[in-house]
Amino acid sequence: MTGEISIGGVYLPTILLLTVAALLLTGLLTRLFAFVGIYRLVAYRPLVDLALFILILGLLALLTGPSA
Amino acid sequence: MKSLLAPLARSAVTILIVLLAILVALWLWRRYETDPWTRDGHLRADIVRVTPDVAGLVTQVAVHDNQAVKPGDILFVVDRPRFQLTLAQSDAAIASARATLLQARREAQRDLALGDLVAKETHEQNVARVATASASLAQAESQRDTAALNLARTTVRATVRGIVTNLDLHPGDYIAAGTQAMALVDSDSLRVEGYFEETKLARIRLGDPVVVHLMGEPRALYGRVDSIAAGINDSERSNTTNLLPNVNPTFTWVRLAQRIPVRVKLERVPAGVALIVGRTATVTVQPRVQP
Repeated sequence: MTGEISIGGVYLPTILLLTVAALLLTGLLTRLFAFVGIYRLVAYRPLVDLALFILILGLLALLTGPSA
Repeated sequence: MKSLLAPLARSAVTILIVLLAILVALWLWRRYETDPWTRDGHLRADIVRVTPDVAGLVTQVAVHDNQAVKPGDILFVVDRPRFQLTLAQSDAAIASARATLLQARREAQRDLALGDLVAKETHEQNVARVATASASLAQAESQRDTAALNLARTTVRATVRGIVTNLDLHPGDYIAAGTQAMALVDSDSLRVEGYFEETKLARIRLGDPVVVHLMGEPRALYGRVDSIAAGINDSERSNTTNLLPNVNPTFTWVRLAQRIPVRVKLERVPAGVALIVGRTATVTVQPRVQP
């Protein structure tokens, strides 16, 4: 885990970029889920959206670096 | 019956997803907040402050900036001719002291041969003069040894394997004894020091494997935890002139964990990685699996 990513010499914590990416992905995925109709299977949509965001963030963190 | 089952199933699915998310959140928290890693690490080494023992004009600088040296290599030479002259002077002083001593001895022996013709007082004076002259000779000899030592110290040599850096010494400069002339980075003492939050120290043990990433260097360096600092400065108190502690009366509501230096001994460094003292490093300690 390098811990940071350089953008033009400015080093940002990786988790910050991952969060932004996860937010965008969650947005896309919720649209897709609404289109397909998956939300009919769950009881409380906002909670599921939040859980989805955390799951995607965890997945990205797992993919970007070997776990310590 | 079916109308009752459907909402139950929906709730179950929701709860399952949320539980999964909570587990992932906990894992993320562990990874970023409690796992012992820090971005606040630096490459460090011992710096030898090369200093001449004698003062004088620098007559020769045998190294150039950023040159690698071995122990015993000549770094620079201070005014050798002057100290050679001092040595010659001490040699002359020895010859003079020796001549005085021999003369004193001859006179003493002559007077002894004359026996009672010479006053007792003169005999005593003769003995004293021989003793004084022999002490002067010893003094002159020790001064010569000092001069020889000073002459040897005019050649300043490297004491460790390392690299001379930030060299600003030129032939013709005058250097005082005890003034630092150049910095010599001790290559054998190169190490990484990670400044870990004190909250993470519990998970760091001596000998744990460590992965180090230097800033801007894609390849990883590997090492082991060598030691943990024994102390850092207590910023909450200072000493006063009457030696009573002056304790800071304000204590912050929101506060930061202090950083403790953890020393990492590098074991595996990929070829071509520039180990420059002061580089920023991300240090990750990999806790060993409990046996």
